Amino acid sequence: MVPVRYNIRSLFVRKLTTGATAIGIAMVVFVFAGALMAGEGIKRAMGNAGRDDIAIVLRDGSDAELSSSVKPEVLGMLRERPEVARVEGREGVIGEVVVIITAELADGSGGLSNVMIRGTPAGGIEFRPELKVVRGRAPKPGTNEVMVGRAISGRFKGIATGQSFDLRRNRPFQVVGVFEAAGSSYESEVWGDADVIATALGRSASVSSARIRLTSASQFPTFKASLEADKRLGVEVMRESDYLKKQSEQLQGFLVFMFVAIAVMFSVAAMIGAAITMNGAVANRTREIGTLRALGFSRRAILFSFVLEAIFLAALGGAVGTAFVLVLTRFQFPIMNFQTFSEIVIGFRATPTIMAVSLGFSMIMGLIGGLVPAIRAARVSPVEAMRG
Amino acid sequence: MNLATYARRNMFRRRGRTILTVLAVAVAVLIFATIRTTLAMWNAGVDEAASDRLATRHKISITMLLPKRYMDEVRATPGIAASTWASWFGAKDPLKRTPFFAGFAADHETWFSVMTEMKVEPAVLEEWKRTPNGAILGDILARTLQVKPGDRLVIQSDIFPGDWEFKVVGLYTPLKRTVDRNSMVFRWDYLNNDPRAEFFKDKIGWVMSRIDDPKASARLSREIDKKFDERDDQTITMSERAFSLSFMGAFSALLFVFFVVSIAILLIMTLILANTIAMSVRERTHEYGVLRAVGFKPGHIVGFIVGESVLISIVGGVVGVGLTLLFVNGLMGPAVEGMGMFPAFRAPSSVLLFAFALAAGLGMVAGIIPAIRASSLKVTDALRRID
Amino acid sequence: MDAKTDAKTGSKANAESIVSLTAVNKTFHRGKEPIQVLDRLDLEVPSGSFEALMGPSGSGKSTLLNLIAGLDRPTSGTVRVAGADVGRMTDGQLAEWRSQTIGFVFQSFNLIPVLTAAQNVELPLLLTSLGGAERKKRVAIALRVVGLEDRMHHFPRQLSGGQEQRVAIARAIVNDPKIIVADEPTGDLDRKSADDVLNLLERLNKEFDKTIFMVTHDPAAAERATVQRKLDKGALV
Repeated sequence: MVPVRYNIRSLFVRKLTTGATAIGIAMVVFVFAGALMAGEGIKRAMGNAGRDDIAIVLRDGSDAELSSSVKPEVLGMLRERPEVARVEGREGVIGEVVVIITAELADGSGGLSNVMIRGTPAGGIEFRPELKVVRGRAPKPGTNEVMVGRAISGRFKGIATGQSFDLRRNRPFQVVGVFEAAGSSYESEVWGDADVIATALGRSASVSSARIRLTSASQFPTFKASLEADKRLGVEVMRESDYLKKQSEQLQGFLVFMFVAIAVMFSVAAMIGAAITMNGAVANRTREIGTLRALGFSRRAILFSFVLEAIFLAALGGAVGTAFVLVLTRFQFPIMNFQTFSEIVIGFRATPTIMAVSLGFSMIMGLIGGLVPAIRAARVSPVEAMRG
Repeated sequence: MNLATYARRNMFRRRGRTILTVLAVAVAVLIFATIRTTLAMWNAGVDEAASDRLATRHKISITMLLPKRYMDEVRATPGIAASTWASWFGAKDPLKRTPFFAGFAADHETWFSVMTEMKVEPAVLEEWKRTPNGAILGDILARTLQVKPGDRLVIQSDIFPGDWEFKVVGLYTPLKRTVDRNSMVFRWDYLNNDPRAEFFKDKIGWVMSRIDDPKASARLSREIDKKFDERDDQTITMSERAFSLSFMGAFSALLFVFFVVSIAILLIMTLILANTIAMSVRERTHEYGVLRAVGFKPGHIVGFIVGESVLISIVGGVVGVGLTLLFVNGLMGPAVEGMGMFPAFRAPSSVLLFAFALAAGLGMVAGIIPAIRASSLKVTDALRRID
Repeated sequence: MDAKTDAKTGSKANAESIVSLTAVNKTFHRGKEPIQVLDRLDLEVPSGSFEALMGPSGSGKSTLLNLIAGLDRPTSGTVRVAGADVGRMTDGQLAEWRSQTIGFVFQSFNLIPVLTAAQNVELPLLLTSLGGAERKKRVAIALRVVGLEDRMHHFPRQLSGGQEQRVAIARAIVNDPKIIVADEPTGDLDRKSADDVLNLLERLNKEFDKTIFMVTHDPAAAERATVQRKLDKGALV
């Protein structure tokens, strides 16, 4: 085997070329890892909050809380169901009112977006154990107080702790706190009292949706079947986990597609860059290689040697890119979920798997790009050592 | 022969390297042009939005409705030439042939005379007036739902329960590139009279008004909103263009990410190109020394090198533009249009030209540093090098 | 045609010096150590002379050649070549001057591989304001002189070593230079090709009155010259 030192030294003799190629690959890995991190952030923001043992009941055919309405009689009937678990001393059934309002961005650009407002009844906060108030306090039930999700706090005029906004003319709502909900899509919402919000909107006693905590996830099929069988009720039932997944299906699909396409095209560029550099290296070191062969190193040893050099070069860039991409975790980007019309904030999430995959990806790019040049190197005959 | 011949011939010295570099430039141009096209298509809606139309909707939420009686007051505002209204239907295809299309109920007497970029034959409009459950479709939607004028069409709604049956009376022709061809318009009074919509009786979603003087749009918007400021249902009115712009804010961050990525690929391309040129220059140091001995000046040498770099980037640029046309116009465009996401997804020639010009310009930039380094060597040092 | 000079005396009756070096020093700096390569050198080369310069490696032959060819400037002293003071000219002026005054012949031929023989010979003419037709004419003449007109459109890789060197000589004379400067012109050639090249150089000197300044290791090449000099440790001996 050709000593690895030869390859490493060769890389550092040609500092400029090695540097330029490594930087190029670093940038490719940066974009690739960034895309993976965005995908992870999307999954987190849209997928994770749902639980298998919570069922959502919507009006049949509405597909989303925003366009659904559930009558109070139905709520009452749900409370009587045997599958319902008890949460904090009462039946685990809550009916919530959901609406989106137009909000102006706080950055002064005049840009508008939509914010989801959720009116939840007493017990609505306890219903979600993952929910934590991280600043200020939770709104008092029966008042016009609200709390805002961490992801959108401060993004819109009037929607930050201590500020207020109008839900209806002359119906201001006070923001008294900020909450976290395990990075789920709830963090892009504003929560207040269901009755107060419903009244402010001029709604009747109907709620948008009902959530039911089942005694166990396995109860779901029977629960769903019996409810949907009763056509008078006119409801559709889903697991909360499935519902949230569906809400972001299109957006997730779109974003994943965009980022995968970008990552693929960038990796082509990385392979080409590695190939050019390694090709040049082989062409310049023909005499060296011939000498190595004359000294007795086999073709296979030369092949391995140059493949290793390519991988090492790419890994150099990959390491730099992977290190720098961690900077992205400080950034988030808001985007409108065109299915729900409300804004959702996506952060870049780094996981050890992503780091490892990115580094590995860079090495594979080096392998593929460096393969043909390495084969050419292996073909060099010892006679080349003599050539002037 | 001239100096250009030398630059051109030099490209073929190491054919493999030149081909790979040309490919790298082409791929970079492809990525850049695709991203810029996406950005352009996104903004196209804003660019082509009417400046002589105002949109009025509920101030609090796009999902809240306005009383229909507001229409009389809007129409009475001086400066308003014509007004119409519509309400969102939340349409969906019960057979799930398409994941999404825009379905809304509009005033059959005025909608198409205000929304003039959706052209409808007078005969079709006449028949629509005679058919209470008549519907007019965009051509792409008609194709997806496999209906033609005269056919019966059944759709469902996110908002209203049950099946809704319509008769397709005709199609609208888009007069602008950005008009959505995936929409369905039916009569508002048909929705209003249906018992399933009693909750929304005599309520409308939004108002579109044509104004005489585009310059007065801000003033007229304020006037309209002032009329309803003291009512329970307040309005917000903006020119159609301002409306589109304001919603760009929802996607601005994502578009910025795309923009950054497009810059990144150009940087990578320049790096690869500069690397290639630097390698070639290093191999020809002795030759450049000979040329200088014979009397060529450092400026000439820079010209040779930068010329070769620009030549490679131009060829790569042309290939890249070709690839973009193939990919965007041939593959991505039809796919995106079919999904109903963008009405017209094609690579604009301005984007292609810009990408090409950038490639050529960056070719110059990539060649400069190796060129300056090569030309600043002393002639005797250059001659001394053997390679 | 001028009278031939005496082989060893180096002076020509009635001939002006085309090259005149006076008290020339050339010092290089390698790191901190200054290395003096040429030491108070004086040299007169008469016009029309065919000079051979020999000497052990490290004696400064190439350095002296570079000075005469206007590729470098002396650290001190005066170098006059064809009426120009090389030490006083800027790089730009030297480049222009070289293209009109000096013809180069290198040891390793130094033809551009991607250009044909004719295009290689044409290179120096691109620096003039001559039109395309005129350039082609001169290229043909130069190639005819070296006997390779029929190989005009061949690439260097299609030529033998000797033919390549002769194309290089054609390139060296196409601009009608006053001096031909040759650095080991036969170094990479076999005996037969070397002889061809030397015959050509002799012809250029005798028939076309070209001054030739040649650095060489090859005694057979030195034999052809009218004047032979030796350089040792930076001084003529």
